[in-house]
Amino acid sequence: MASTGAPVELVVASGKGGVGKSTLAATLAIVLARRGYRLVAVDADAEAPNLHIVLGVDRWDEEIPVYEGRVAYIVDELCTRCNACAEACVYGAVEVHDGRYWINPWICEGCITCSAACPPKAIRYRFRVKSGVVRLARSTRYGFPLVGGESAPGRPNSGKLVTETKNRGKSLLGAEGVLLVDAAAGIGCQVISSLTGAQLALLVAEPTLASLSDLKRIHRLTKHFGIAPMLVVNKYDLNPDIVGEIEDYARAENIPVIGRIPFDPAVPESMVKAVPLVEYMPDSPAAEAMLRIAEFVADKVLTDWRSWWSRYRPKKPEPYVPIIIRPGGSAK
Amino acid sequence: MPPRWVVAVTGGKGGTGKSFVATNLAVLLAGHVRLLLADLDVEAPNDHLLLGVTRLENEEPIATFFPIIDYARCTACGACMKACDTGAIVAARGRPPLVMPRLCSGCRACLMVCPEDAISPEGRRVIGYSYSTPVGRWGDRFQLVTGMIREGEEHTPPAIVATKRRALREAPDGGLVLVDTGAGTGNGVSAAIQEAQLVIAVTEPTPLGLHDLRAILEIAHGMGKRTWVVVNRAGLGDDRGHEALAREYGVELLYRVPFDTGAARAYARGVPAVKACPGCDAARSLRGLSGELLAALKTL
Repeated sequence: MASTGAPVELVVASGKGGVGKSTLAATLAIVLARRGYRLVAVDADAEAPNLHIVLGVDRWDEEIPVYEGRVAYIVDELCTRCNACAEACVYGAVEVHDGRYWINPWICEGCITCSAACPPKAIRYRFRVKSGVVRLARSTRYGFPLVGGESAPGRPNSGKLVTETKNRGKSLLGAEGVLLVDAAAGIGCQVISSLTGAQLALLVAEPTLASLSDLKRIHRLTKHFGIAPMLVVNKYDLNPDIVGEIEDYARAENIPVIGRIPFDPAVPESMVKAVPLVEYMPDSPAAEAMLRIAEFVADKVLTDWRSWWSRYRPKKPEPYVPIIIRPGGSAK
Repeated sequence: MPPRWVVAVTGGKGGTGKSFVATNLAVLLAGHVRLLLADLDVEAPNDHLLLGVTRLENEEPIATFFPIIDYARCTACGACMKACDTGAIVAARGRPPLVMPRLCSGCRACLMVCPEDAISPEGRRVIGYSYSTPVGRWGDRFQLVTGMIREGEEHTPPAIVATKRRALREAPDGGLVLVDTGAGTGNGVSAAIQEAQLVIAVTEPTPLGLHDLRAILEIAHGMGKRTWVVVNRAGLGDDRGHEALAREYGVELLYRVPFDTGAARAYARGVPAVKACPGCDAARSLRGLSGELLAALKTL
């Protein structure tokens, strides 16, 4: 039984969508489990959860709905059409159709601004709107549990759902082992919730200018959190020039490049079959590359993760600094 | 200057090819309609990179309201904390409140409920920037409006709405605004497609693409939007499920753009596929899609 000493959180993130986070996270989880690590896999993309599909999970043992949402609506008989609500709403949720004022439930975040602004007090709320669901599969085919969440479409604050999902995962894991978190694309609230509390980040990039730009943004975010990053370049044979630019950036920023994966049509093929590539075609070029990367993480990173973290975490703290403009106009 | 049409390109799953489709459509349509492309993927905007634009121009800060509390007037009544929807205002019992900048959405609820007039209406916080850049190197000119949040910002809808409003303000009179929404299926996407008369959902022929297509169609359908589905990288998987799903949601057109290494290489380098390899399968298919869209504009 491989041991980590204390729970360690490793987040797989990228900024750019579609570069192979879930595919790599699934492979990593399978290899770590084979190596005897205690592990919980967390799908931290509440808006487009995919990890269960890659891992072939078609049934959940637990599905707990979360009812935190709140949506405003206008009582038409009381409305004086003064437009105060439309002017107050920062989300633009108030629409006018044939002279009638209507709050679009797909846009409304449920804050109290419009009702506070409304002179005739014509605005009410629907409470306990479904925000989403937290799901658990106690044991995937590979022996470890999978926790995931799914936001109801069009709802705000998926970051909250990700936090609840991670907390469920952490309580399942207990005092020892690896929390392997597959983050969403982007750098917004979902990703920030994924990164909170993590020590290690496996950043995935593809050789495109778009991916390099997004890599820089997600990397700066990991610096805010003091996380030790490592980099994998996926589909690397599509553009060697840009691989060079990506690795130059990594070198300049002390981000170790721990592997490269070639483009491989076996990847989408295995996805269509809903079987992880390392099971479907373990000899394929991409599978071999991913296995080597996973073995590196298992044997060289996690066995003494505190040394790794110490070596590669940001040397200078770079916390988020807000830009506030005070009355009188001077930026702080 | 009100545009005549707004068409949104979205998709849910990251990496299906929203920006690929949106930027190529912009290049193709710019010769036929006056056009503005709005990149509302404020977390990770990429349209400028796919169009080989090296410098974004006309930077404007996106500044939302930020409560600056006058502690001389504050009585620590807690009304602002109760009113705050995002938990950005915290206070221990009876103590004056503290505002946590990263969580503040700028909604002004605190300002409106404060009984002591202790919050200034003038305070602002810069959460990101919007840009407006002319794109002329690929033929007929069009304008690109880009939104970008500062790294560390939790809450993206205010930045999406601000960038969208700029795009609608600067849109050519009587022309087309093409919106690239960015990944996701949350209220950021619904805000990005709010004004659209047509929503084009870009997906990929895998079970992951299918799963996220359902969520996007749920939103578009719920908002009463006419929808098309574009299966990008067609041929690299199985899209029968996508076809069935499209029928289920009353999607008006399902269009396939084949996987094409020429197009992928062009994308990587920042050259629109329709210019880099006009004869390749993906480019021909994109031209066909732009023709369908032009014809559809007459009915929108």
